[in-house]
Amino acid sequence: MLATLLQALVSGLAIGGVYALLALSFSITFTTTRTLNFAQGEFIGVGAFLGVTLLYLLAPGEGGSFSALAPVAAEGGRYPVAAAAAGAALGALGLLLFLAAIRPFAGKPGMSWVMSTIGFGIILQSLGLAVWGPAPVNMPSPFGDGVIRLGGAGVRPQEVAVLVVAVLLMLALDITLRRTRLGKAMRAVAHDPAVAALMGIPVTAIMLGAFALSSALAGLGGVLVAPIASASLFMGMGIALKAFSGAILGGLDNPRGCIFGGFALGLLESGVALWQAQWREIAVFLIIILVLAIRPNGIFGRRALDKV
Amino acid sequence: MRHALLATAVAGLAALAAAVLENDFYLRILFNIGIYFLCAAGMNVLLGFAGQKSLGQAGLFAAGAYGAALLTTSALDLGPWLALLLAVGIAAGCGVLIAVPSLRVRGPSLAMVTLAFGIVTEKLVTEAEIFGGAMGIYAIKPLTFAGVPLEMVQWVWLVVALGLGLHLLLRNLLTGRYGRAFLSLQADEVAAAAVGVAVHRTKVLAFVIAAATCGLAGALVAQQNQYINSDFITFHLSIFILLLVLFGGAGSFAGPLLGAVTLTVVSALVARWAWIEHFVQGALLLFALYVMPKGLAGVLGGLLRRARGAEAPRRAGVPGLDAVLPRRPDAPAPGTSLLEASRLNKAYGGVRPAREISLSLEAGQIHALIGPNGAGKSTLINMLSGVVRPDSGRIAFRGQALEGVAPHAVCARGIARTFQNLRLFRELSVRDNVLLGQHARMRNGFWSSLLGLPPAWRAERAAAARVEEILRFLGLAALAGQPAGALPYGLQRRVELARALATEPHLLLLDEPAAGLNPQETAELGQLLLRIRAQGITLLLVEHHMDLVMGISDHVTVLDYGAVIAEGTPAQVQADPRVMAAYLGTEEAAEAPPAPRLAVGA
Repeated sequence: MLATLLQALVSGLAIGGVYALLALSFSITFTTTRTLNFAQGEFIGVGAFLGVTLLYLLAPGEGGSFSALAPVAAEGGRYPVAAAAAGAALGALGLLLFLAAIRPFAGKPGMSWVMSTIGFGIILQSLGLAVWGPAPVNMPSPFGDGVIRLGGAGVRPQEVAVLVVAVLLMLALDITLRRTRLGKAMRAVAHDPAVAALMGIPVTAIMLGAFALSSALAGLGGVLVAPIASASLFMGMGIALKAFSGAILGGLDNPRGCIFGGFALGLLESGVALWQAQWREIAVFLIIILVLAIRPNGIFGRRALDKV
Repeated sequence: MRHALLATAVAGLAALAAAVLENDFYLRILFNIGIYFLCAAGMNVLLGFAGQKSLGQAGLFAAGAYGAALLTTSALDLGPWLALLLAVGIAAGCGVLIAVPSLRVRGPSLAMVTLAFGIVTEKLVTEAEIFGGAMGIYAIKPLTFAGVPLEMVQWVWLVVALGLGLHLLLRNLLTGRYGRAFLSLQADEVAAAAVGVAVHRTKVLAFVIAAATCGLAGALVAQQNQYINSDFITFHLSIFILLLVLFGGAGSFAGPLLGAVTLTVVSALVARWAWIEHFVQGALLLFALYVMPKGLAGVLGGLLRRARGAEAPRRAGVPGLDAVLPRRPDAPAPGTSLLEASRLNKAYGGVRPAREISLSLEAGQIHALIGPNGAGKSTLINMLSGVVRPDSGRIAFRGQALEGVAPHAVCARGIARTFQNLRLFRELSVRDNVLLGQHARMRNGFWSSLLGLPPAWRAERAAAARVEEILRFLGLAALAGQPAGALPYGLQRRVELARALATEPHLLLLDEPAAGLNPQETAELGQLLLRIRAQGITLLLVEHHMDLVMGISDHVTVLDYGAVIAEGTPAQVQADPRVMAAYLGTEEAAEAPPAPRLAVGA
């Protein structure tokens, strides 16, 4: 019993780390531009497939077929390279997303950017389907498929790795947002882009950077999570939705709240899965709706006062 | 009437085409157009009129489809027509469910919540036993006519007839009181509530309409196929339903049809390759957003308008001095007490814009509320109009308690207001803005509006006549057809005044009505306010223009740091040393209670 709980705790923290990272990625664009990427799910899926493709290309001959890569393909530093490259590629895609789907619509009434980012995501996914096909593929973990025994609980090393990487990244981002001039500039842009521009802050560059960073996190998240589940172009939607739920749970405008929300959601999900695996999505979303009904701006979110 | 004939002719042509066509493939395309039109027509109410984005319509489609499936195949074993009807009801019920979060959350969070609703439904019908899992539900009873299942041609006729009926009903609804209320939600919820639109109820209604039509479409698809499984219910269906409206033209009556026809045909052409179908869908979505924000209907309408075109007047006419404002029958007698506020308090963190404010308003007078910036004048107006709830204290309007009453209900009791920063429905015409003021005064209900019954159009005609009179009173009659946002600033202020007067108030709250007006316009405003008082309406105005205040007010209250520091006739107030101290900061300021330091410490 204790072992099961411990196992649920570790896998909850691992997936929670991914949710937290992606919740933070939502928060980064929301706090600077008041917009979000509704295609973040597609970005995750494409990131995972880019990672698999890179592993396949980096290990010619020895890795086996594309749809079932051998564990050796992820060894020898290839996995971190693939992860970094997928992050960089998705970051570049984020720039395109900002220019094509966000900038023409940001700040205008009607939230057209919701639709335009969804359209961007649909196009991206359909191109992914054309290149890679709809079937999910396996991504090997650099730490193999073995199981570490931890007080009776079986823990997969990839889960520990995901948690460690996510926590390190979030620490770095937290320091950047709170302690640096860049972080201050981002907050200024969020507050009022026009005034920030008058103070000499390169507003467009900051916004571009926010989207590049946010999208890079999505790509990285895809590569991190793919060895735990398997890579699929459709895997991202659920992850992104839960990450977003974590973000609104903690408060979209509060990066630390988002991190908390992401972890809380991961733990909640693995807790519900202990009881009834197929109800976990439904239970999670019901709880989110309940929380929103009580605190519309999340647990740590500030109440936006509408001045009349 | 012309519109109804045109719509009937289009439907007749579609029915005729179905009768001539032999090919099952073409009949199926016609059927799909009909189905998607049903979805789009309801979605247009939600997205195009009420301005709410729902990314989870597939869930409501599922509610209808699985509702019809389970009602006819389970132990209930209902007849197909009854099941269709009940399925629509089930979907409408789910519409309430999806609407509830929208009352609390807004913006991107709401979009995500609706999206999550669609995804959860998709999961539910894939996973749960009762919905047949991925296998789906077979042997759903098809609709029958005289005991014989419908043929494909008859299915097409059925959806054409349903589409025509839905279109005409929704047109009845949307051209009147309810259509304006939906549009006001899209433009500005605070202003909508201030003119008497019950924001929550109206929003839920829009969600329910969209849900019911989506559920109808889902049930028809399930009954026609006699089979439903979770492959029907996808995120792409939700997006497709949105796209139908966006591409066709959100907020236009032709939009849903244009969208349904074009997109169904395009989809049928590329349906052979799944990824191309999705690619085209995404590309069309972006195309619609970039190139034609008002959709196909907007493009076509623009072509028609260019052919006409006319110069619009930009100046107000002469006010009609003989015009009479509409009033409620139970007007209070002049000189009686209208509103009593006692010991109102409000704090935002350490800032306390209201402390122990007591105020008493006498019917038939012009009351003024003055004080330096930040004195709490707007907060007081907001508390009286229900926008802000006081932390403590009582407000009695004509003897009835007013604290905690929602803004639209405050309006219904007879208190109207204008806003410091104009809150007009900018896209709507001047006439529609003022007609919205009549919203709560109109008595035609949902069903009589939907069915276009005589009480509905009688109410519309009476409201229109009253609005004309109000516009004449203010000299705005010549501008009635123009979009309110296109008028010069001074006239916009006057339109807002007209809108407030249209609620037939006993008490009119004006928050800086002269802000931004030039001296000439300010003088005209003063005359106007005196004429409004002469009609028996009590006024409370917040104003900085002292010559205006002192010239027309019967009674002046002075606020400073959230507390009343003086009140009386204009002459008394002008002579009061505390008022001078508050405005000019003489040495007596230190003695003037309460000291500024307290405002921070609280």
